[in-house]
Amino acid sequence: MLEIEDLKTNFNTYDGVVKALNGVNLTIKDGEIFGLVGETGSGKSVTCYSALKLLPKTGEVVGGKIVLNGEDITHASEARLRQIRGGEIGIIFQDPLSALNPVMTVNEQIGEILVLHQDEEIKNLASEKEIPTYKSKKFQASPGVEFTILAFCISFISLFVMLGQFTFSLPFLFLIGMMFLRNYLQRDLPHSALDLMVIDALSRVKLPNPEQIASSYPHELSGGMQQRVMIAMALAGKAKMLIADEPTTALDVTIQAQILQLIKDIQREENMSVLLITHDLGVVAETCEKVAVMYEGKIIEEASVDQIFKNPQHEYTKALIEAIPKGGKERLKVPDIGEPGAI
Amino acid sequence: MSSKRQDNNDVENPSQVTNIYISDSVINRSNIGNKIETTTESKPKEDVPSDYKKYKGKVLKIKKLRKHFPVKNVWGKNIALVKALDGVDLEIEGGKTFGIVGESGCGKTTLMRTLLRLVEPTSGSVLLSDEITNNKFSSNKLEELTSEELRNFRKQIGVVFQDPMGALNPRMLIKDIVSEPLSIHGKTEGIREKVIWLLNNVGLGEEHLYRYPHEFSGGQRQRIVIARALALDPKILVLDEPTSALDVSVQAQILNLLNDLQKKYDLTYVFISHDLSVIEYMCDRLAVMYLGRVVEEADTEDLFSNPQHPYTRALLSATPSFEKQKEKIMILGDVPSPIVYLDESKAKLATEITEQERLEIKAIEGKGIEYIVRSSLNEHLSLKEVAPSHYARVK
Repeated sequence: MLEIEDLKTNFNTYDGVVKALNGVNLTIKDGEIFGLVGETGSGKSVTCYSALKLLPKTGEVVGGKIVLNGEDITHASEARLRQIRGGEIGIIFQDPLSALNPVMTVNEQIGEILVLHQDEEIKNLASEKEIPTYKSKKFQASPGVEFTILAFCISFISLFVMLGQFTFSLPFLFLIGMMFLRNYLQRDLPHSALDLMVIDALSRVKLPNPEQIASSYPHELSGGMQQRVMIAMALAGKAKMLIADEPTTALDVTIQAQILQLIKDIQREENMSVLLITHDLGVVAETCEKVAVMYEGKIIEEASVDQIFKNPQHEYTKALIEAIPKGGKERLKVPDIGEPGAI
Repeated sequence: MSSKRQDNNDVENPSQVTNIYISDSVINRSNIGNKIETTTESKPKEDVPSDYKKYKGKVLKIKKLRKHFPVKNVWGKNIALVKALDGVDLEIEGGKTFGIVGESGCGKTTLMRTLLRLVEPTSGSVLLSDEITNNKFSSNKLEELTSEELRNFRKQIGVVFQDPMGALNPRMLIKDIVSEPLSIHGKTEGIREKVIWLLNNVGLGEEHLYRYPHEFSGGQRQRIVIARALALDPKILVLDEPTSALDVSVQAQILNLLNDLQKKYDLTYVFISHDLSVIEYMCDRLAVMYLGRVVEEADTEDLFSNPQHPYTRALLSATPSFEKQKEKIMILGDVPSPIVYLDESKAKLATEITEQERLEIKAIEGKGIEYIVRSSLNEHLSLKEVAPSHYARVK
């Protein structure tokens, strides 16, 4: 599915060049959950951002090859990359609230992705069911505008009533009446094809009441629901691969278990490949089939999950496993490592 | 008296202990480490006073503590209450670590704030033992202390917050940060020596005095916060998620440091966390909180080997681990809102299966996963002693 060969990424800073990646080799097969573990500053996130060319301006891929489904995308054009991001590879970020746009409803945000990547299917669905393609009256209701009109009318009515000229207020009363009549007549209008696909995307991640969630803003949802919306967004473009960058770090353990179960279920149902980036070895053990440990921009050990915990080969992996507190009261062994990030 | 002498011995011979931190924290961490080692070894420490006293028994007793935050409507009328704490009974033993676990929004942090009287409780009381009051206070109830006594009381409790960068003023030098509590409480002499002693205690050194917080790594910042918390020789240290912002290797350093400090100065820890592996490692006794109530309280080993409350069982099984394949108990549904409406006809916490839970049950059906529905936890049960000193809210 995705092959990364000898990837090197540098960051140019005022203090010199930071070599964030020093030759990363990764192969993620079809239908595999692959875990990438490491501490802060080890380059796990940079690997995924480099693969999708999402680096900030100071960052630059200086060597290596990225192959997606046999196609070399190392020097792909921006237009092609846009098709890949969201269309072939979906991404989930750590903090759902900062990754979702606070001033757009869930419906608008998922709709954006669908229009970009699933335009033909929306049009097919619309012509098949004879419903509007993009816009429906259903979600178009803007309470702000309606409230303004209402306040405007009421103030004029009260003004004229106070002046004793009740007849002048009749047109405004008529306007209010028309507004309510419009809402009443439109209550049963069909969804547009886009709305139907948004609702479908939301129900794929087992969200209850998808119509209500589609019309709500991100802050109105709980953390677990927000992360489910993020997953729905990542999957909306029918991506065959999912990159999850610390998807459960901001969540409680019980919610984390739900979200990991959901990722596993969806992976199995749709036979996707998943690249799970995390710092929690426990999450990897429970979710992934294969795992790679990163340290200072290199992959120092790669093995199946069973092997890496039973028989870690590299000293750093051993130290990382030993640093996790366990039941006993013996002193924790601290890994004998350099300052993270000082490269 | 003998215990006091023992403490002095510790202070006279600190190189042994400090060396442990140094060997933890700065092996191979280049030049900074070497500097610390040389400075700490050359520094005599006998002149720094220490009146730590070994004590046993309960230092704090929390009785039926409640904290309800009002929810107001547009006209300023109370329409609902957020029951952040709803009748918490706890006894915290001296010289031990008491853990508080729970998910976000269950009232852990409010409990910590009420313990320090940073927020006034709605009802209930916190009883202080003689070790803390020194028989000098007018009352042994926290809520009856005068402001002068409260100031003295707060000397006895140090606090370490979750995010060290948020807890340290970015414009102050480390010297000023660590000495601030000393100058606030009227100490004028020997401040510099005390600050250096405190920094040595947490594995930092004299050369860090004139630096700003941003020049340190996350683990070092947390050490500075711990040094500041220890500045007034407190008897109790409240640790609010001290390691959740840190990597595992740095977390291991901080936990070792905390364990060493506890042994050295016989500190009492109130350890708040949502990470069960950390809690299991650190704590002697443990309370599990859910929606403002303690649902289970027991000694750590007891609780981990024999959890009684369904929420505790789900929490234990949800913690990811690689050691053994344990049975999975999923907890389904979203965290309920702690808002309780005064008008009874309005929304009440559901005790029946909700729409989302029905969907999630359907999704995991036939996979052989045991599950608990969250709305079934909303039933109010009373605390029972299920085993000696093991309490749980079960039927």
